[in-house]
Amino acid sequence: MPVLAHRPLHGAELLGRLRGETGARPVVDPGLAGGLRDWLEDGLAEAVAEVPGAHEVRVTKETLNQVLVCEAHLAACAGAPRTVSAALARGTLVDALFRQWVTVGGFEDPWADAVAALEAEEDPGGILPFVAALPAGRRTALVEEVEEQAQGILRRWPVPSPAWMARTQERLEIPVCGGRVVLSGVIDLLLGAPAHQRASVCLVELKSGGRRLEHRGDLHFYALLETLRSAAPPFRIATYYSATGELDVEPVGEDTLRAALERVLDGAAALCRLAAGHEPARRPNPLCAWCAGLPRCAPGQARAGTDVPRTPDAGDDEDAG
Amino acid sequence: MAATAPQQPAGLAVARARRLADTLAAPPRTAADVDALEALRADTARHLAAVAADLPEGERLVLDGHRLLVAHRHPERCALAEAPFTPSPRSCRRAVGMAVVARCVRAGAPAPAAAVAEVVEEAVADLEAPGGAGRAPWWARYYAGLPAGGRAVVRAEAVGFATRLVTAVEWERLERPPVVGGRDDWWQCPSGALTLRGRAELRVATGERVTLLVVGTRRCREDWRLELGYPGLVATLVRAPAAAPGRVVGLWPDSGQVRVLELDPGTLERTAAAVVAAAASWVDARIEAAGAPGAAG
Repeated sequence: MPVLAHRPLHGAELLGRLRGETGARPVVDPGLAGGLRDWLEDGLAEAVAEVPGAHEVRVTKETLNQVLVCEAHLAACAGAPRTVSAALARGTLVDALFRQWVTVGGFEDPWADAVAALEAEEDPGGILPFVAALPAGRRTALVEEVEEQAQGILRRWPVPSPAWMARTQERLEIPVCGGRVVLSGVIDLLLGAPAHQRASVCLVELKSGGRRLEHRGDLHFYALLETLRSAAPPFRIATYYSATGELDVEPVGEDTLRAALERVLDGAAALCRLAAGHEPARRPNPLCAWCAGLPRCAPGQARAGTDVPRTPDAGDDEDAG
Repeated sequence: MAATAPQQPAGLAVARARRLADTLAAPPRTAADVDALEALRADTARHLAAVAADLPEGERLVLDGHRLLVAHRHPERCALAEAPFTPSPRSCRRAVGMAVVARCVRAGAPAPAAAVAEVVEEAVADLEAPGGAGRAPWWARYYAGLPAGGRAVVRAEAVGFATRLVTAVEWERLERPPVVGGRDDWWQCPSGALTLRGRAELRVATGERVTLLVVGTRRCREDWRLELGYPGLVATLVRAPAAAPGRVVGLWPDSGQVRVLELDPGTLERTAAAVVAAAASWVDARIEAAGAPGAAG
């Protein structure tokens, strides 16, 4: 179970929670990663066999969450245009500032720095045009929120020592079943060099919004990817909530990885079935009212208690990470 | 003298890093077959000269690893207009990152996060010094022109690249310091209109010969033998046969995959055949472009 810090942590206390005692870190089972990979390969073999030859099934935290909630929801999301919300913009800008803090240990002007970071990266998410088009009041509120979160990072996070090998926005991409299925993700922060005898890496995801149920599942997925990539699991995974300074930290044991793997098997098999052309299963759930596919989904409308489709509200709490 | 060991977790044996270092340092499985390599060089030059002869007049073609794989995987894309190179944090990450790796491996910097600050400061200082612009790396002007937020992204990308390479190899096990980055290999086809460009991240001496380490992006693909064989072929063409590389090791940090390609004559011949085919795809595209309505000349 994660250790939840419902009060902001600062400096050494925060880092101590993330790094722990070196000698107390778990010893790596050298057969663990290979065993997990074999389990994945075996578990997906049947589903992959149905997928047309040229199709590559990509499994990300988003597609996993969507397909496990409702296959029709995933299909609706895939067909819907990507929309930027204020929460997504805030998350992307705060992610950029966190990256800057970890890398150079300071800000000049947080808002200008975050915008410059997105400009340098050519703003793949289309955040800057969204921000530019906001009414003045909402834009001011966003600027204030981003600057406030930057101050929080500045107050609470010590600059990582170079010895901790901190790196940000690290991509993981794990091919299985001969590359027919690819598990992928981008982790906000990794601390510690990969090692083999004792687990030594800590994964951190930053969230600029509130706690959500899927955050733990996302981290477990990333822990599995890191284990498959490095042949050693991370020893800790953490979610840092930059709005409040709260930090949820969880040790990674074999049970965590097995549960993550079973979830990936369920989700990836469903993604393979959809790629093979099967009709998506509809699973009415509390999120039906916000689903892009609601206008065409009778069970969803029954669950939502309406036949009037709703559009997502710009204030929906949706984080970039 | 062994390479300097960048800071690694004390007391932890990084078995993968040890295996990779040992693979890099191990002598090739077979001695260089000088006659076979001479014949390969002659055949490759002849076939490529025939392909290059069809280039529209005055045109030149530089075939690098990227263009080779485009032609091999998606030959239809050779006909599309190539976007001009523009510097970005992503396009700088290897160049800055390799300078950081060199500083960690050769100059004893404790870790990439510390080395990157020195690397970018020196680059900007060179740029600003009287007459120093010629010494500054190509990315220095781009970096110097960025605001603080953009500079941070360049540094973060470089740290990520460098950390993964620094922690992938157990450097102390290399008896001689490797060439980190170094100049690309350029081989000009005797016709003069076609040039092959090969790139490797590390060159590790193994006696008279050398082993190359190539860092790939994302994950290892089915055509990894070509991806690794290409820099091996170009390095073979530019060197004396007795000093030709014997092995290319591929490392894909995103996926953790490692592949080893022994450069025997058969592997080099297959690679050369694929290179000739790729060059032909690019030449065909240039011919089509030259003949298209509105084409100059």
